[in-house]
Amino acid sequence: MDYPIWNLGLGGGVLIGIVAIAHVLVSHFAIGGGFAIAVIETLAVRRRNPAMRALAKRSSLMLILVSTVFGAISGVGIWVTIGLVQPVATSALIHNYVWGWAAEWGFFILEVATALLYYATWEKVRPRTHLVIIWLYFFAAYMSLVIIQGILSFMLTPGRWLETRSFWDGIFNPGYLPGLVLRTGICLLLAGAYLTLAAQREPNVSLRARMVRLLAVFQVVGALLAYAGYRWWEFVLPGSVKAIFLGAKPLLAALSSTRHLVLWALAAYLLVALFALAAPKLHRWPTAVAAMLVAFVFFGGFERLREGSRKPFVIRDFMFSNGIRVSEIADLNQRGVLAKALWAARGSAASIEAKGHAVFRAECASCHTLDGYLSIRKLVAPVDPDMLKGILSTLHEAGKDYATGKYSNRGRIATERLDYPLMPPLVGTDEEQEALAAYLLSLKQSYVAEASHAN
Amino acid sequence: MPTSLIPALDPAPLPGPPWLFHVLWVLTFFIHLLFVNTVLGGTLLAAFAGAAGAGRREIRTLFVGVNSWAISLAITFGIAPLLFVQVVLGRFFYTAAILVGWAWFGMLILLTIGYYLNYVAKFRLRGGKDAGAIVALEAVCFVAIAAIQVTVNLLHLQPGRWEQVADRAWVALGDPSFLPRFIHFVLAAVAMAGALAAFVAVRRAARGGDPEALRGMARFGVKAALIATLLQLVDGFWLLLALPEDVLRAFMRGGAVTMAPLGVGILAGVLLLVVLAQISDPLVQATKVRRAAELIVGAMVLMIVTRHELRDFYLAKARAGEQVTVAPQWGSLALFLAVFVLCVGLTVYALVRAAKDRPGPGEEAA
Repeated sequence: MDYPIWNLGLGGGVLIGIVAIAHVLVSHFAIGGGFAIAVIETLAVRRRNPAMRALAKRSSLMLILVSTVFGAISGVGIWVTIGLVQPVATSALIHNYVWGWAAEWGFFILEVATALLYYATWEKVRPRTHLVIIWLYFFAAYMSLVIIQGILSFMLTPGRWLETRSFWDGIFNPGYLPGLVLRTGICLLLAGAYLTLAAQREPNVSLRARMVRLLAVFQVVGALLAYAGYRWWEFVLPGSVKAIFLGAKPLLAALSSTRHLVLWALAAYLLVALFALAAPKLHRWPTAVAAMLVAFVFFGGFERLREGSRKPFVIRDFMFSNGIRVSEIADLNQRGVLAKALWAARGSAASIEAKGHAVFRAECASCHTLDGYLSIRKLVAPVDPDMLKGILSTLHEAGKDYATGKYSNRGRIATERLDYPLMPPLVGTDEEQEALAAYLLSLKQSYVAEASHAN
Repeated sequence: MPTSLIPALDPAPLPGPPWLFHVLWVLTFFIHLLFVNTVLGGTLLAAFAGAAGAGRREIRTLFVGVNSWAISLAITFGIAPLLFVQVVLGRFFYTAAILVGWAWFGMLILLTIGYYLNYVAKFRLRGGKDAGAIVALEAVCFVAIAAIQVTVNLLHLQPGRWEQVADRAWVALGDPSFLPRFIHFVLAAVAMAGALAAFVAVRRAARGGDPEALRGMARFGVKAALIATLLQLVDGFWLLLALPEDVLRAFMRGGAVTMAPLGVGILAGVLLLVVLAQISDPLVQATKVRRAAELIVGAMVLMIVTRHELRDFYLAKARAGEQVTVAPQWGSLALFLAVFVLCVGLTVYALVRAAKDRPGPGEEAA
C-alpha cells in the first residue's frame, strides 16, 4: 500500500499464481526426479542393467533443463513478481525469514552444481562417484524444500509466531509437517509420472514393463503420501478456513469445488498408478499421459486451494492481501488510508471521484482491476447506489470488528462470521468511504448518464 | 501533495547486524558478477567471433559451453544479493522496480529466451552447424537485461526522480549517468571474458590443442580485453563526472575509505592496459595472460566496493534520520552459516572427486 501500484490487466495475484505454479511444478519435479534417477541409477549399477542406466541418462537432460534452467529462472521470477505485486508482504517476509532463505540458497548452490556436474560426467567418472553426485543432488534439493515449506505454510498458518515473532515458531507452524508430507508425495508422484513417460521409449517390452512397475511404486507411494498429507493439512487449517471451504458459505463455492477437484484428481491418479502396477505392459502412452495430466490438475488445484484459503490475508491474521496490517486498522480509520498510501494518493485532490480512485488503488487494486480480472466495473454494474453504500459500510464495519476482535475464535479472527469473508475490510475515514462510493458509481455508465441527464 | 514518496521503513527489526548484511551483500554480489561478466562478455565475444579469423569456432564453442552452466550460476549467485538488498534497502528497491515494472518482469522472459537460445546454439555447434545468428540474438537478450539492471539499480538510488518516472517510465533512461554506467558494466564484462578466452586458449595449447586456432582465440581475447579496458578508462571518468554533484563531492571528501578503492582500482586498470599491450603472442606469454586475468578480477573487487560506497552517498539525504531497529536472530543466522559451509564444502568435494575419479583403461565408466 505504501508503494506505487503496478497496473496489470490480468491482476497481480493471477500473475503471481502463474509464475508460482510453474515454479512449484518444476521444483517438485526436480526433487522427485532427482530421487527417482538416483534410485534407478543405483539399481542399474547394482544389477548391471543397461536399460535402467539409459533411462537415468535420458531423464538427466530433462532434469538439467528443468531444474537448473527453468527452475532457477522461475525461482527468481517469484521474487521479482511478489516484489512488484506485494512489496509490503515481501518485505515483511524477508525481515522475518532472510536467514531461512539464505540457508535455502546454500542448498540451492549445491543442487545446481551437482545437477550440472551429474549431467556433465556421464561416461567420464567411475559409477560410484556418479552415484555420489546424484545422491548429493537429491539431498540438496530435498533440504531446500524442508526449509521453504516452513515459509510457505507460515503464510496460511502462522501459529504461535503471531504472539512470539520467533523465527522458529514461524517455520515450525501448524501447517509445516502436513505440508511437507504432502509435498514429498507430490515430488514422488510427479517424478513417477514423468519417468514413466520417458520409459515408454524402451523398445524391449519386458524391460519396459519392469521399469514401469518400478515407477508405479513411486506413483502409488507418492499418491498415498500426498493424500495423507492433504488430509492432515486440512485438519490443521484454521477453523475459519475449513468452515468456508467445507461449505459454511454456500455463496463461496469456488474453494469447495476446487477441493473436490483436487481429491478426485488424486483418486484418478492413484487408480492409474495401480493399473500400472498391476498391468505394466498395458500402461502405454495414453494412460501415462493421462497420469501426468491428472497429476498437474491435482497439484495445480491444491496450490489454488492453498492460495485461495489465505484470503483475505496474505499472512493470516497479520496482513491483508492489500498490504494493510491488522494492527494498523484503528490508526488508518483515524488518519485516513491516504495518509499512508502516498503513491495511491497522487492527484487525489482533484475531485471526490479522484480521491475515491486513490482509495481504490490503495485498498482494492491488489485484487481487482478496472476491466480485466475481477473487473470492478463489472462487479458494480448491477449494484444500485444504496446497495453499494451498504456494502462499503459493511466492509468498513468489518474493519472495526477486526480491530476490536469482535469475531474471534480462540484468539484468531473468525472470518467465516463476516459477510464478505474473503474480502479485506474497508479501512479509512468516512470521507474516504464516501469518495470510494462516488468513484465506483462513476464507473456505472447508466449512473453517469442519469446524473448528466438530471443536470 | 505528499512531501515524500519514499515508503515507510518496514516496522520489523533487521534480523542481523547491518554490517553483516553489507559484507554478505558485497561478497555475494562479487561472485554473482564473476558469472554475469562471463556470460554477458562471453556471449558478446561469441557473437563477434566472426572478426577473429582463426579460432572463431573455438571461441563460440567455448562461451556457448561455458554459458550452459555459467548462466545457472549467475542466477543462483544473484539470489543472495537480491535478498540482502531487500533487507537493507527494500523500500527503495521495490519502488524502483515497480516504476519500471514491465521491464523488470520482462527481464525474466529475456533470461529464459537467452538461456534456451544458448542450448540451441550448443546443440547446433555440436552437430557441426553454424550458430552465429543465434548467439547474436542471445547477446541482445543479455545486453537488454544489463540495461534493465542498470536502470533499476540507478533508479533506486534517486527517489527525487521517482515521480517523473511514474508519469513516464522512459524518463528512467534519461539520467546523465545511465549511459556511462551501462557502458562501464558491459565493457567490464567484455574485458573479463576476453581475458578468460586467452587464459583458456593458453591452457589448452599447453595440453596439445590446435595451436593455430588457439592462437587466434587467445589473440582475439587479448585484443577484446585491451580495447574494452582502453575505452573503460575513458568511460570511467565520464561516469565519475556524470554523478550528481552532491554525490561526487561527498565521495571525494570521503578520504582514504572512498579514494583508496577508487584510486587503486584505476591503477589496476592502467596496469592492466600495460600488461595487455605487452602481449604479442599469448601462447608464449602465458604469465602475462594470467596477470591480466588477475588484474581484471582485482579491479572488479575494488569497483564493487566503490559502487557500494556511492550508494550510501546517493541515499544519504533520503535515509537521514532513519531509525532502524536491530534484533538479530542468532539461531537462524547460525543455521545459514552452517548450511552455507556444509554446501560449499560438499560442492567442492563433488567437483574434486569428479575431476580426480576418472576410470582407467578398460574400467567401467558411469
